[in-house]
Amino acid sequence: MFQIKGLTRRFGEKTAVRDVTLNIINGQMVGIIGRSGAGKSTLLRMLNRLVDPSEGKVLHDGIDVTALNGKALRDWRRDCAMIFQQFNLVPRLDVLTNVLLGRLNHRSLVPNLLGIYSDQERAEALMALERLGIAEIALQRAGTLSGGQQQRVAIARALMQQPKVMLADEPIASLDPLNAKVVMDSLKDINEQDGITVITNLHTLDTARNYCGRVIGMAGGAVVFDGPAESLTEDAVRMIYGVGEGDLSEDITSTSIKPTQKGGRNSKSTEPLTARKAEDGARIVSPA
Amino acid sequence: MALEHATELGGTTLQVEKHWRELNRQKKLYGWGSVVALIAFTFAALWFANASNAGKFFDRLPHVFDFAFDLVPRDGWEIWRAMFDLPSPYFDGSFQYDYPDGRVYITQSLYIPEYFYKMLETLNIAIFSTLVGFTFAFLLSFLAARNLSPNSWLRGTVRRIMEILRAFPEIVIAGFFVAILSIGPIPAIIAVSIHTIGALGKMFFEVIENADMKPEEGLRAVGGNWIERVAFGIVPQVLPNFMSYFLLRLEINVRASTIIGAVGGGGIGEVLRLSISRGHEAKTLAIVLLLFLTIVCVDQFSAWLRKRLVGAQSFEFVNGG
Repeated sequence: MFQIKGLTRRFGEKTAVRDVTLNIINGQMVGIIGRSGAGKSTLLRMLNRLVDPSEGKVLHDGIDVTALNGKALRDWRRDCAMIFQQFNLVPRLDVLTNVLLGRLNHRSLVPNLLGIYSDQERAEALMALERLGIAEIALQRAGTLSGGQQQRVAIARALMQQPKVMLADEPIASLDPLNAKVVMDSLKDINEQDGITVITNLHTLDTARNYCGRVIGMAGGAVVFDGPAESLTEDAVRMIYGVGEGDLSEDITSTSIKPTQKGGRNSKSTEPLTARKAEDGARIVSPA
Repeated sequence: MALEHATELGGTTLQVEKHWRELNRQKKLYGWGSVVALIAFTFAALWFANASNAGKFFDRLPHVFDFAFDLVPRDGWEIWRAMFDLPSPYFDGSFQYDYPDGRVYITQSLYIPEYFYKMLETLNIAIFSTLVGFTFAFLLSFLAARNLSPNSWLRGTVRRIMEILRAFPEIVIAGFFVAILSIGPIPAIIAVSIHTIGALGKMFFEVIENADMKPEEGLRAVGGNWIERVAFGIVPQVLPNFMSYFLLRLEINVRASTIIGAVGGGGIGEVLRLSISRGHEAKTLAIVLLLFLTIVCVDQFSAWLRKRLVGAQSFEFVNGG
């Protein structure tokens, strides 16, 4: 379980993340929504320490992540895989090698540098690619692939880390709707089949509604909404996106993608927003 | 008024427009100021050069071809005889026409002509020291790059070392080592290598600093350590550029090793200096011709190799960084 306590990050004068306190139970699928610059990325990056917090703590299963260093920090990053908006693969290496690089931290330096992998590891990499439906491109150079394919390679690499948590920083922001759906379906599948906690930043409201059991809304670096997707009312959305009365239509953020199997949240979720009261114990926090 | 088109702009936008104009005026002023200063400086420098030459530039101009006339051989074939160490009909017991003297025999009858052998020696110096320089520059450059260096002290130290290494021209370092190790190719190799480490190292860390950090960040998120992140996140990206600079440096080093020969570094430069100072015109021309052909060949070869090694990949469009 993640216990995030008073997490704050300042960049010079600007406070990117302001005093965020959250608990995330293992196995949850959490969507973080908010405008650009709301601090979503910074929050996510503090969880795997690509960004160090200015204040506050992150605990995972009782281990203080914010205090880790050296080998322990690298091990934590292995356990807490991350998917990026821009995929962050090595474009000049082939897909299989990129996926095998997910194993870096499970192995020692010399075989890593020499690129010596066991048949077992290679088979696992191919299985990960197969699971994402892209085994046939295993020998192509990653840089030559389409965005959707690259993101799936990135997910396969993350799977090779055998993580406990998977963070996804705007995983579908650079993809077309169809590829976005494939990627979100994969993340959902990983969450449901492997029981891996998935925490994902999303731009679009309906994606968060359709895929994530729990939605966290951020505005100005602070958490302004935290609750089940169903209870995401128009008031809450206004607060998250900071728009005035009547300005908001869900269509602006929509790419209309829904999970295929096992149903989404419910059929109501794609209806246009009607004024609904907060329910199901959702809390709406006023921005500081 | 310059702002007549801007009248329909609102208050804040008008301010921006005014500010832009102000900055633009300033930029133009600096631009023209620099051009004027540059022209003035060029004239001053020319005047100073002529003055310190005791104003002899125009007096000596007619003698500019004297040296060229001294170089005309007795007949055209003499150049070939000198180049391939064939006996000369003008042989009079003097060293000037004793071409076969320098033959390097491999078997009883098969020999390498002296200047070809010396040229090989020079090429050998250039290639070997470029490889040595490349290896060390490669290892050091990752420590010197701002985006990768583990700490600023180490980065500063490595950068200073590189600066010192490339501060001295090869010929100065060679002169120093010739004094210690005596004449021969070894001082030349040391000198060229040292300069190459510094020069290539700077190129390399600048390439690294321009590298896209996203692959490196991806591997950081995987849990890779510094060496693994550099090896897989950065090296594949920068290697084509490194090879390009390596080949460029090889071309430069062929010339450098030639010059170094003249201060006792062995190779073709040494025999060239001797034949010029002794006034052996056919030998000098043979060496210059050989040198010219070699350098053209090296440049062509390196251009071809660069295309083979880096061309295909590095001009390809890479999607998504």
